[in-house]
Amino acid sequence: MSDRHLGMDSLLAVRDGDRSEPAYLEAHRHVEQCEACRAEVARLHQVAARLKALPTLEPTTDQFPAVRARLHWERRHRVQWRLGAVGIAAAALLAVGLVGNDLARPQPLDAEQQLDSLMTRSQLLEQTLRAYDAENRVLDGWTVEVVIDLEDRIAQVDARLQDAVMLERQARLAHEASLWQERVGLMNALVNVHLTKATNVDL
Amino acid sequence: MRPSDRCRHLYDVMTKATTMDAMSLPNAETVIARAKRGDPAALEQIYRAYHAPVFNLARRICRTAEDAEDVLQETFFEVCRSIRNYRGDGSIWGWIRTVASSKALMRLRRNKYRDTDELNDELSPARAASPALRMDLESALDRLTDTARAVVWLHDVEGYTHEEIGTQMGKTASFSKSQLARAHQRLRLWLDEGVTA
Repeated sequence: MSDRHLGMDSLLAVRDGDRSEPAYLEAHRHVEQCEACRAEVARLHQVAARLKALPTLEPTTDQFPAVRARLHWERRHRVQWRLGAVGIAAAALLAVGLVGNDLARPQPLDAEQQLDSLMTRSQLLEQTLRAYDAENRVLDGWTVEVVIDLEDRIAQVDARLQDAVMLERQARLAHEASLWQERVGLMNALVNVHLTKATNVDL
Repeated sequence: MRPSDRCRHLYDVMTKATTMDAMSLPNAETVIARAKRGDPAALEQIYRAYHAPVFNLARRICRTAEDAEDVLQETFFEVCRSIRNYRGDGSIWGWIRTVASSKALMRLRRNKYRDTDELNDELSPARAASPALRMDLESALDRLTDTARAVVWLHDVEGYTHEEIGTQMGKTASFSKSQLARAHQRLRLWLDEGVTA
């Protein structure tokens, strides 16, 4: 046994069973034979146990409303960006369709036509909302709740639309059509909530 | 049972208790699946289940309660945004905790708190004024420098390895080890627990 006691790094290595320390085995042997170092290791165990036993500190304010508001804001801007892209894509599809007729291309599948139609309707509803300038209107608490709920559900549909790209083509078309149908329904409800509110307050 | 064995037992029991307490999300798989689909109620359930341990971790690392509340918000904003990327390889709490510790360490760096590179012997002025050499563990922990306190908490309480702590801090495992050793030397002195080794 060495006459010298262990330093803190070796004591901690023994406490934690850290065999990556080069001198771990030697330190471990030392602790087995040295009462003072054994007591030090025990004391270090106690410190760790006491740290774990410290009271749990609780936040004074509920942060979830702020988290939700930030998510909401982010989703709204992401949806607006995506719809801008969808508008360009719809215009491109229309152009391809017109040119395609001239070139006597095969008729598009019904599912594709249905999908295009739903995307266009969704886009028109978005334009209606933008024209109404919904973001800058003052709403009462109840209406805000309804609007947030509808926008959250629209965001969920958008997330599922993102997932749909992984599906095989035919399955994807049918699934996307169903999701776009749902989106149009929700958008319709959202427009109605805003416009009804506008009528009620005579705006 | 030798004293050291008793301490080890207590240490293990408390580790287990802490882990079990944090895993307080009933029907975790279902809730996570719903959260991945963007269900706000599921996201809120995850927040309610883990906001306390996240805040506790942040508060132990950060200097002020305000910073810790910011870290809490940042953590769950990130969790809600990224939950679709959570693959379920480890526990949800383990994943959230890593996000939280990363945000807390980022907050330390952003605020340019003192001693991010080394454990300075000087104390922060607000804390150095305390005349008492013998102090309770909470005060002693609070008196450590930010980096030292973070390493002690992440290693001794949260159970991160030195490699993991080094990575999170953009340093090496050796850095984390030396920070821990010097912090414990300090704690030993301040806690004035007697035995001279």
